[in-house]
Amino acid sequence: MNKYTDVLIIGAGLSGLMAAAKAAEQGKEVMLVAKGMGAVGLSSGCIDLWGYNLEDPNQVCQDPLAEIARLCAVNPQHPYARVRDVLEESLLFFRRVCQENGNPYLDHRGGNWLLPTALGTLRPTYLAPASMAVGDLQQVRGVLVVGFRELKDFYPDVLAANLKKSGVLQADCPLNTLMVCAGGGELTPNTLAYRLENPAVVDRIVDQIKPHLLPGAVLLLPPVLGERWDSQVAKNLAEKLGHPVYEVTNIPPALPGQRLQQMLLHHVKGQGVEVVIGCTVNGARVADKRCTEVLATGAGKPIKISAKTVILATGSFLGGGLESKPGKAWESIFGLPVETGHEKWSARDFLSMAGHLFNQMGIKVNEHLRPVDKTGEVIIENVMVTGANLAGCNHPIEKCGNGVAVASGYKAGKLAGEVGE
Amino acid sequence: METDKAQVVVIGGGATGTGILRDLALRGIPAILVEQGDLAHGTSSRFHGLLHSGARYAVKDKEAARECIEENMILRRIAPNCVELTGGLFVQLPEDDPQYADQWITACTEAGISCAEADVQELIKKNPVLSPNVTRAFKVPDCAVDGFRILWGNVNSARRYGARVLTYHRVSAIHQSNGRVTGVELINQLNGQKRSIECEMVINAAGPWGGEVAAMAGLEVNVIKDKGTLVAYNHRLMNMVVNRLRPPGDGDIFVPHGTITILGTTSTTVDDPGCTKPGHDEVLALIKIGQEMVPELESYRLIRAFAGVRPLYQAGNATGGRSVTRNFALLDHQQRDGLAGMVSIVGGKFTTFRLMAEKTVDLVASKLGVNAPCRTAREPLMTPVSEELLERGKKVFGVPGARKAAERLGDSFAQVVEQVEKNPDKGRILCECEVVSLAEIEHAAHSGDSFTLGDIRRKTRMGMGTCQGTFCSYRTLGALSGYPQFAGNHWEYLTKFLQKRWKGMRPVLWGQQLREAQLSTGIYCTLFAMERMR
Amino acid sequence: MSSDHRLALDNCIKCSICVSHCPVARVTDKFAGPKQNGPDLERFRLEEPAAVHPSIGYCTNCKGCDVVCPSGVAVSAMNCRARGEYVSMHGAPLRDKILARVDRMGKAARLAPSLVNRLAGLRPLRLLAEKMLGISAAMTMPRYAQKTFLELYKPQNVGDTGRKVLYYPGCYVNYNAPEVGLALAEVLAHNNIRVEVEQFDCCGLPLIANGLLDTARDQAKKNLAKLQGYINRGYDIVTTCPSCHLTLRQEYRELFQLNTDPLHEKMLDVFEYLSVLLQQGKLVTRFEELPLQVGYHQPCHLKAAGCGVPSREILQLIPGLRVADLDAGCCGLAGTYGFKKEKYAISQAIGSNVFNAVKELGVRQVISECGMCQLQIHHLTGVAVYHPLQVLAQACGHGKWLAK
Repeated sequence: MNKYTDVLIIGAGLSGLMAAAKAAEQGKEVMLVAKGMGAVGLSSGCIDLWGYNLEDPNQVCQDPLAEIARLCAVNPQHPYARVRDVLEESLLFFRRVCQENGNPYLDHRGGNWLLPTALGTLRPTYLAPASMAVGDLQQVRGVLVVGFRELKDFYPDVLAANLKKSGVLQADCPLNTLMVCAGGGELTPNTLAYRLENPAVVDRIVDQIKPHLLPGAVLLLPPVLGERWDSQVAKNLAEKLGHPVYEVTNIPPALPGQRLQQMLLHHVKGQGVEVVIGCTVNGARVADKRCTEVLATGAGKPIKISAKTVILATGSFLGGGLESKPGKAWESIFGLPVETGHEKWSARDFLSMAGHLFNQMGIKVNEHLRPVDKTGEVIIENVMVTGANLAGCNHPIEKCGNGVAVASGYKAGKLAGEVGE
Repeated sequence: METDKAQVVVIGGGATGTGILRDLALRGIPAILVEQGDLAHGTSSRFHGLLHSGARYAVKDKEAARECIEENMILRRIAPNCVELTGGLFVQLPEDDPQYADQWITACTEAGISCAEADVQELIKKNPVLSPNVTRAFKVPDCAVDGFRILWGNVNSARRYGARVLTYHRVSAIHQSNGRVTGVELINQLNGQKRSIECEMVINAAGPWGGEVAAMAGLEVNVIKDKGTLVAYNHRLMNMVVNRLRPPGDGDIFVPHGTITILGTTSTTVDDPGCTKPGHDEVLALIKIGQEMVPELESYRLIRAFAGVRPLYQAGNATGGRSVTRNFALLDHQQRDGLAGMVSIVGGKFTTFRLMAEKTVDLVASKLGVNAPCRTAREPLMTPVSEELLERGKKVFGVPGARKAAERLGDSFAQVVEQVEKNPDKGRILCECEVVSLAEIEHAAHSGDSFTLGDIRRKTRMGMGTCQGTFCSYRTLGALSGYPQFAGNHWEYLTKFLQKRWKGMRPVLWGQQLREAQLSTGIYCTLFAMERMR
Repeated sequence: MSSDHRLALDNCIKCSICVSHCPVARVTDKFAGPKQNGPDLERFRLEEPAAVHPSIGYCTNCKGCDVVCPSGVAVSAMNCRARGEYVSMHGAPLRDKILARVDRMGKAARLAPSLVNRLAGLRPLRLLAEKMLGISAAMTMPRYAQKTFLELYKPQNVGDTGRKVLYYPGCYVNYNAPEVGLALAEVLAHNNIRVEVEQFDCCGLPLIANGLLDTARDQAKKNLAKLQGYINRGYDIVTTCPSCHLTLRQEYRELFQLNTDPLHEKMLDVFEYLSVLLQQGKLVTRFEELPLQVGYHQPCHLKAAGCGVPSREILQLIPGLRVADLDAGCCGLAGTYGFKKEKYAISQAIGSNVFNAVKELGVRQVISECGMCQLQIHHLTGVAVYHPLQVLAQACGHGKWLAK
């Protein structure tokens, strides 16, 4: 079977969806195919832009945009250096899409939020959905961590113990924990979120929490407050309790990342983008430095797709965009080169502050996001590369994965929209 | 300083040490076992998990082969929940010397090891991963054995007869007076406290650390430390042990082990008895050799590599060693060095640990004037789980969960099942890859011998499956955070555990396991910012 | 276990994306989820085939897990095999054996379809069936047609385009919705293409979904041999049911290791077939105006085919027609699943999203390719539901199904 489109996006992660949204906005016919659901569903659901100071990597960065400008000067190989021109507009675009879909993302006066995690650590992030955007914890007059008996992935005592240790709270700030029951059984975060969409269940939770509320307390809960991106569960719970309620970051499966993904998918479908998940692109034909068609299979059946522009948003190793064998790594569809260096791919320490080389591997691109070889020569002219596919980003340490995805996806979508007939 | 008394102190919590402890206890000799880490942190868990039929040694060392088959049969009887009756194969490839096979058949027959020739076509049909080039194949009574379980079985059995165990206690000195050992001094590895035990006899069963322990008593025991690297595949590639039918060499044994397959082993001499770092190059070499028997080996997913140090004994020019066989040596230091009250047991292999213990305790008992005979070959390590109990277990854990939990827990299975029957919430699975329930993890945490997440892992297999602890380590920490020993520094508990898993994953970071590593760093760094947590 | 299966098993990195998207695990804790039942326990089943979680019966076989998995793990195939293993050990209830034989039910109903339809609507009888057999009294039963598609279809004389098409109608079209088959014939006739039909066995999906793999395998072999015969004679095979299509093309290979390669080029969903004509400039694109808005529900098994919505391109050519995607996920019926007493509530809970989407969009007519989805959407919302082919046939001047 053959398909034709203006813009073909491969990958349903954050950068792919951003590219689709932007290209569609410019009136292009857009098709998005993906092997499965992209990794944004596994993410925090927040947009991490830049977490720490360049000079002092233990100091939380107060002005991520300015820090990125400095980064681009000292590290021109960083993906941000390729997308700096659109960084701010991409964030505005992202926030507009979220706002329009009833899932507003908030910034923290242009600086970083410092949001609690289920482990009781604090992570810097630039944009957070309203349900997660707990303000300055230094200011709060009390914290109540609420867990659910049904959930095996969230432990209020662990959160509380480490939050206390982190020293972010005032010394006399009361910090309590509470386990509530949402009807029993063993529930996944998704099943619990589904249950919480029922107002009667929320009422029961409210009854259990109320006796434990101290004046001025902020509530921290696992990220299960509502299924859809426009869910009102967190808001309703806060109103019924008369106290602000926030979701913390947790291990997958967690709802905020999934909500972001579902919202963007819904948005692009509404924009007329043809979305095909479960369709694996496994090769391409390239002639005269142009991709003439990509070769995909759906349930074992071959599909050929031709497009004027192809946006490669297939992710890193995790997403399946890169593959590897001992000593060798390559991009999986076009076989684009991936530099592996001569060093070891991983650091000795799992939690190394330097990070691991494998997380920084990827495809080198020029300022138009076109893949380039060692000499800087474009390899394929109508292909653009975005997100975790890009080389040179140490995102787990720098806290910039979703930021790079938003900016690069947006830029690719914008450039694809400018391609003439 | 706390002071204890026991007639005998056993140094080393491996298969031999725990076997000795049990033997002593069964003969009514009061004993304490001291171990610097957790039980089985060394060689006894760092091997391929093969319970030898002896066929591997039949040609080279008939005596060793005979011992193996005898011990193999004994362990099947006394520890059925630690032994998986997989059966074994010896396969010959076109490049192998066909004459070796004939020699081997004769040798097996002479050693009393059954070896029946198998229909090769039939065999490949049943085990499609095997090379289609296999020319001949023989079935032998090899099995898979679980080192952790057998060791804890030994200890639990010994405890029933009054024996004691101190894990995380390192021997810092061996006291002697007038040519006699009088006791040992210990340091608690977790809190640094000192402790001493007065005793009449010290048995050095410290495996690769045997030389270091002997040195504390001013003795010289020459232990060659031979590091072997092994790899673990993500699933059972085959349901039988597969050996290469040729003189023993590197990378020629596959052992299906629960949910995984272990391929081993390499051999390199090292200086440090604690050197358990698996090498990347050794891993690649293993795969290359293994590929001859399993051609698609490269495409299967490795979840980790690990290494153990074989303590090989070489009787040096210092004589006096009473060599029991060529494979293990029992050194009577009174006779050999003039130091009364100390013996060392060195060399040997896992399969024959019980026999080594028996010979050691025979000697010790005679010195102590005890006449009781050895009973370890007759008395089972634990009572088998009844069908009725297993059915109850299936109701709470499901079919796979119940069987695995029953095997792991042995005598404690009934207690854990009861827990879940009373409180179904405890049946939730914290380690999904290896199907380990909250109840089982709590049981391990309650045991009094668990101080780290690693200790829980060794008792339950939590964190040993596909994701290598990415999800269950956090859950286990959470579930146990109410326990005093886990309430302290979460960062430390979690980091130590994850770091140990990382050490094994690093040499195999490509393909799917590299993806897993990205997920894992994504969770602990991107989502939890744990690299900056203190 | 073939080496493909081993690799698929090794691909799982335990990310839980399949769990997050499982429509059943979303609404109930009775199902341990696709990951636990699938790749997690598959590692145990290599040693002990009986290592099946009893909750496997709650899997609807919607194949959503396969679609969303970013690692290419054939989760649903593992679950289908596990269910087969479970049923072979524990047996299947009589109810499942009855429901799984939709072909036999269809044949039996032919004796007196009106009577069967009337009986299916009698509450006391339904309550009895619920009590005795465990068939939900609340679920709407599919209605049987007075005559089967094979009885009704009369080959039409059309101009010769040299194209040879065989239609595999599937049980639902044949016994319950012959109008869909007739619409297909009209649309193809509109393009001067004659359709051949033949009596086939049921594709076997209901059997597979109920764990009765042996019978399904036998039918698979027979069907495949027959289809191969037509392919050898130069026929293209078209289908209108996404579930039959997926079963023939994918399940026969994944579950029974049968060679389905010849089907890949030659067997097409009817809209794929029409798209090919369109691309070749051979599609007759004179359509009547249909000024109406319909909701579209994409069946799970069409999603699982990984080729998008084949009708999208063609329906866009119909003047006036506006198709709004419900984008609401699984409808929850899953063939025989929603008819089972203990699963009815789960099925309805899953379908509530579709209900909400229909309400939100305010559409009065919905189109969907799958007969079972059609039934469920009608049951949930009361709106009229049609196959997209019926819309197309109407635009070609045949039939008056949809209200303008």
